[in-house]
Amino acid sequence: MASFLATYDFLLVAVLALTLYLPLMAGQLSVASPGFYALGGYIAAIMSTKIFPPGPGLYPVSLVLLEMAVAAVVSGVLGLAVGVPALRLRGIFLALATIAFVQILGVVALNLDVTGGAIGIFGIPQPFSSAIQYMWLAVPLLVVSMLFVARLERTRTGRALVALREDELAAAAMGINPTYHKVLAFTTSAMLAGAVGAVSAHFINTWNSRQGTFDTSVNLMAFVLVGGSRTFVGPVVGGLVLTALPEALRGIAGVDVLPAWLAAFLRDGRLIIFGILIAIGTVFFPHGLITPGLLRRLGRRGARPG
Amino acid sequence: MNRTFLLQQVLNGLAIGSVYAIFALGYTLIFSVLRIINFTHGAIFTIGAYATYALTGSQFGINGLLAGAALPFRLPFVLALLGGSIVAALAGVIVERLAFRPLRARGADPLLTLVSSLGVAVALVNITQYLFGAEPYSYPDPLQGLPSAVNFGTAAAPVLVRTVQVVIFGVSMVMLVLLTYLMNATRTGKALRAVAEDMTTSSLLGIDTDRLVLLTFVISGFLGGVTGTLIGLSVGVAGPYFGIAFGLKGLAVIVLGGLGDIPGAVVGGLIIGLAEAFVPAQYIAYREAVPFALLFVVLLVRPQGLLGRAQVQKV
Repeated sequence: MASFLATYDFLLVAVLALTLYLPLMAGQLSVASPGFYALGGYIAAIMSTKIFPPGPGLYPVSLVLLEMAVAAVVSGVLGLAVGVPALRLRGIFLALATIAFVQILGVVALNLDVTGGAIGIFGIPQPFSSAIQYMWLAVPLLVVSMLFVARLERTRTGRALVALREDELAAAAMGINPTYHKVLAFTTSAMLAGAVGAVSAHFINTWNSRQGTFDTSVNLMAFVLVGGSRTFVGPVVGGLVLTALPEALRGIAGVDVLPAWLAAFLRDGRLIIFGILIAIGTVFFPHGLITPGLLRRLGRRGARPG
Repeated sequence: MNRTFLLQQVLNGLAIGSVYAIFALGYTLIFSVLRIINFTHGAIFTIGAYATYALTGSQFGINGLLAGAALPFRLPFVLALLGGSIVAALAGVIVERLAFRPLRARGADPLLTLVSSLGVAVALVNITQYLFGAEPYSYPDPLQGLPSAVNFGTAAAPVLVRTVQVVIFGVSMVMLVLLTYLMNATRTGKALRAVAEDMTTSSLLGIDTDRLVLLTFVISGFLGGVTGTLIGLSVGVAGPYFGIAFGLKGLAVIVLGGLGDIPGAVVGGLIIGLAEAFVPAQYIAYREAVPFALLFVVLLVRPQGLLGRAQVQKV
């Protein structure tokens, strides 16, 4: 179990799924977060290899936290700059604009000198002596972001976002400023994605333009849509299960329970399964598997004695 | 910038732009009828390119499940192109049945349909990769015996355009003429335009809308398959994902031209082709970003596209 936890960054992926969920709370399908994730990773990679040259021993965790903060601020500023004009668009147009945004960032990262071009940046210093200790960063990050979104859902702002999702025109008529709230959700999501990228860069140890691409967008959409897009629990569970499941199955595949062809398929065909899950999910579970109604039923059952 | 260089770049731009145009028409036809963006179009492009490759009797590489497999016969390239495009059209039919019809029956949100088609696209591309591997392929050269380039200039100031470019421009133009004829001069075309105008009314008037939606997917899939092969012929089949990348570029074309606007898709394709051709040599690495930058800017400045009319928000 320990080695399994250490090899997979599924906790970080769950946080990333939340970054897709935030704009979706307001009904905005934005797939920009892989772009901010990539940006955050580059910021951490550049800071830790060029600005604070690694000395002997472990890289200080405090500097990782500083990188996360810088990544969040820079991503937030870029998010604001992109979000203010882009969030006048809605529906398909916003999705297209954010796809274009991720593509442009990818080409720029591939060609700048500071990002290491096609090779990227490698040898990013490690703040921990073993991968499992990344839990000290990943678990608090996940818990804090979950608490944040959970609280948000119950505040005035969160309810305003949901009102916008249900009916933007009616919400606007009730005095909710659509642009302000959408940009707020988008920028918060960008900041969070940037911070996750900063941790991921250290965890993966190398960062290049293959991180945070359109593929990541598709994966995140699978997490949110299969997990559930109406409560923050959905994306987190979707992200945890869909990334951990293939790994767990791969473990099973190793002990000869599964036939070889199926084991090979589970190893190489992950995106086939994700794609099919997205398609099936949208047809049969348009709100995902975990819905607020389901959570309420579970809550009642838990509360009843016996 | 001298005249020869200008002419050279214009011709290059038109050749690639014409392919963008017929690819984008595949998106546009479906959008005009169903008001959704069919993200599987890029995957169908991939399927067309691979099907043509298989039909030429060529062997697949060593990485996929079907490593080393090859069909027992070889078709001449023209027939393989036709066959590959028909396979792509069939893939379009399957996609319509599996991904779009169930959602249409439920009257689902267009955004959900977009996501569903993305899911199918990712599945199709990865199935292709699983079966045939990720290595690049190139077609057995069908233009053997022809000179490798055609001179559009004078002997003193040559303007050389690769023969492949001339061929793909020619094929694209043929497709465009056929499609224009179909849409404007046949009963089916009239019915298609009626369905695009208003699906409910045209079904009340006795038009079999489900059949026409299916036909739209057939035409769109065929166009996607042709483009996949043409691009494969020009630059090689760079693995299954090249369809996804091309598909995303195609989005820039349709947004530029105005979603669902057929002349707009052609104009948009040519503009993006020319814009790419005129990227200065020292910034050539950024060429891939040009369509997306245009897409982004057009969305912000003129979301209805260059030729489109602004949509009035009805309450």
